[in-house]
Amino acid sequence: MRVVIADDTAILREGLARLLEENGVKVVGQAADATELLRAVEELNPDAALVDIRMPPTHTDEGLVAAETLRIPVIVLSQYVETAYALRLLEGGQPGRGYLLKDRVMDAAQLVAALERVVAGEVVVDPALIEPLVARRPLGDLTAREREVLALMAEGLTDRGIAERLWLTPKTVETHVRHILRKLALPAGTANNRRVHAVLTYLREGA
Amino acid sequence: MTLALLAGLWIWAWRPATRMGPLMTLWPVIWVAGDLLAAFPDSRFVSTFGLLLFGMGPIVYAQMALSYPTGRLTSRVAWAYIYLGGYLAQVIQNVYNVLYYDGRGCPFCSPHEPSYVFAGTSPLSLASWNKGWAYEIIAVLPIGLYALYRRFLASGPGARRTMGPLVATATIVTLTTTVQLIFIVLGDQDPLSNLSYIEDFGLIAVALTSFLGLALTRRARGAVGDLVVELGRAGPGHVREALARTIGDPTLQLALWLPERRAWVDETGQELELPTDRGITYVGDDLAAIVHDPVFLDQPALLEAAGSAARFALENERLHAELRAQLVELRESRARIVRAGDEERRRLERDLHDGAQQRLLAVGMALQLLRSSGDKSLLDETEHELQAALRELRELARGIHPAVLTDQGLAAALQTLADRAPIPVRIEDSAGRLPGHVETAAYFVVAEALANVAKHARASNAWVSIGREDGTARIEIRDDGVGGAAPNGGSGLRGLADRVGALDGRLRIESPAGDGTRLVAEIPCAS
Repeated sequence: MRVVIADDTAILREGLARLLEENGVKVVGQAADATELLRAVEELNPDAALVDIRMPPTHTDEGLVAAETLRIPVIVLSQYVETAYALRLLEGGQPGRGYLLKDRVMDAAQLVAALERVVAGEVVVDPALIEPLVARRPLGDLTAREREVLALMAEGLTDRGIAERLWLTPKTVETHVRHILRKLALPAGTANNRRVHAVLTYLREGA
Repeated sequence: MTLALLAGLWIWAWRPATRMGPLMTLWPVIWVAGDLLAAFPDSRFVSTFGLLLFGMGPIVYAQMALSYPTGRLTSRVAWAYIYLGGYLAQVIQNVYNVLYYDGRGCPFCSPHEPSYVFAGTSPLSLASWNKGWAYEIIAVLPIGLYALYRRFLASGPGARRTMGPLVATATIVTLTTTVQLIFIVLGDQDPLSNLSYIEDFGLIAVALTSFLGLALTRRARGAVGDLVVELGRAGPGHVREALARTIGDPTLQLALWLPERRAWVDETGQELELPTDRGITYVGDDLAAIVHDPVFLDQPALLEAAGSAARFALENERLHAELRAQLVELRESRARIVRAGDEERRRLERDLHDGAQQRLLAVGMALQLLRSSGDKSLLDETEHELQAALRELRELARGIHPAVLTDQGLAAALQTLADRAPIPVRIEDSAGRLPGHVETAAYFVVAEALANVAKHARASNAWVSIGREDGTARIEIRDDGVGGAAPNGGSGLRGLADRVGALDGRLRIESPAGDGTRLVAEIPCAS
């Protein structure tokens, strides 16, 4: 897998590159801001981009803006536990988008797994965003198992991914998902990224 | 005539401050001089003085109309009209007639003896000379009417009330005179056959006008009594309205003097400048000023009476204005403090995010790598990053609130500030421990001031002194730099003033250019 990384802090960029390289990901380019990032993606045609959410010049949401233009899979690394940012990233409807807390750079395996998922066209949402949302109120009359499945749906896992994570058969997971969608009155049978967006919106605003 | 003369004398006596009295007294006397020519055709004495004063009456009358009620001409048009188009032209005309009028051939007056200084046959035909004069008057009269109307329309309703009758009579007299002159010039004769009825009309009108004006003033004076009653009933905030009604000037404004601020404010506590183009009547010593239409300057008695009657109400009003002014200032400073707090939190977030947080992430990544590699240089690097992160966190925490301030007191905290300053700072602390909130405020005043010294003052030394006297902590920071710091310059100083103000303290800055800067904060401390 070939990736481009963008972060305005040099030590972080270097460390990240080293960490990814040691875990079998090839870092083909590094960028210090959004402009450099777009140019690097254009020239190097990587499989994915790993982008810091805030970069020069305004240090606010440059990473998100860049992700809107990029046509390759993108993971945005952020210090903010803010569902609003994750929703914005998914708004464009493009497959292969990830919103991860920056802390995940300390866990190479998790980071590489997330990269693999977005490259496969899946959506990745940091569990830290989902946990408080799922925990904070009763969700319809969902069973404990269904709540578990719902949280993983929100994190962007496919039915197969959920099955692997929970040691269930894909068939069982499908049944759970169907029940959940009906109970929460969410549209069934949509693409993975649409489903994540719908679930996240539901979790934020309630039914 | 007697009526007009008496009215003039009365006004002269009653309002010696205005020029109206002399003008009104002079006018009938002069006017009559013209008539004497017809009454005594054989007297050369009457001829001489009659010819000299001929035509002056209407000009004096016009001057009165244009300057009513103060007797002063305010506009340039009116001045030129009266002095150039009026007196100057008439003097030339009269001198010519005194010299050359032979007793015949004048289209305007009956035949009579020439003057004492009769100089023989006129170089010009006397008839054409006098016609020229008549043209001049026909040309000039509309200007006078224009000036009068402009003045009338520009005055406030109160002034219009007193000017109204006068404007009406002036219009009629001017128009009839013009028409008459035109007929005379065109037909070489007097179609109205006799001027006197206009003159009589004018005399009576002016006398009536002045009486009317006086009567209206009288009414206003009576209103002062009503004012007292009204003020007793009305609460604060209504003094202006009551005064405006009493004086008859809806444009009337109040200015209240706040001695602590050394500024004039209106009833809502907003600062204002006293206007220069309006009339101003002061009430009491440093209490209030009534700002009104300048036309009322000729009635100082009325304004002073009203002012005195409203004195206690005005004092009350001032107290309220003072309170409101403090509220306005309070609201503004509160908003500034909130804004400054927000700005500070944003800055802290940025510093944390771009500093310590990033370094700790780098350390975390390095630990990941170390797990597999055990690289010695990477270990050193990691340790270095960790130390840098700790240092940044320490600085941030200190910026939020230095712990030493609470533990060891102001003197110790200030010593640390001094140690870090780029120039020598001498600290003198004779206050001992102060209440916590005072120490905190004092600390930030000194910190900000020393930061400013480092940034702007180009000083080589600075001094800080903390003292306490009569329940007030006094913090002074002084440097030997270039000075010239503006009291309202920069949000830093403003923020300090707000912080000190929140504790009922005061912040002063003296910064003469080239002579250093002295910042003094005084904060009350009960304990």
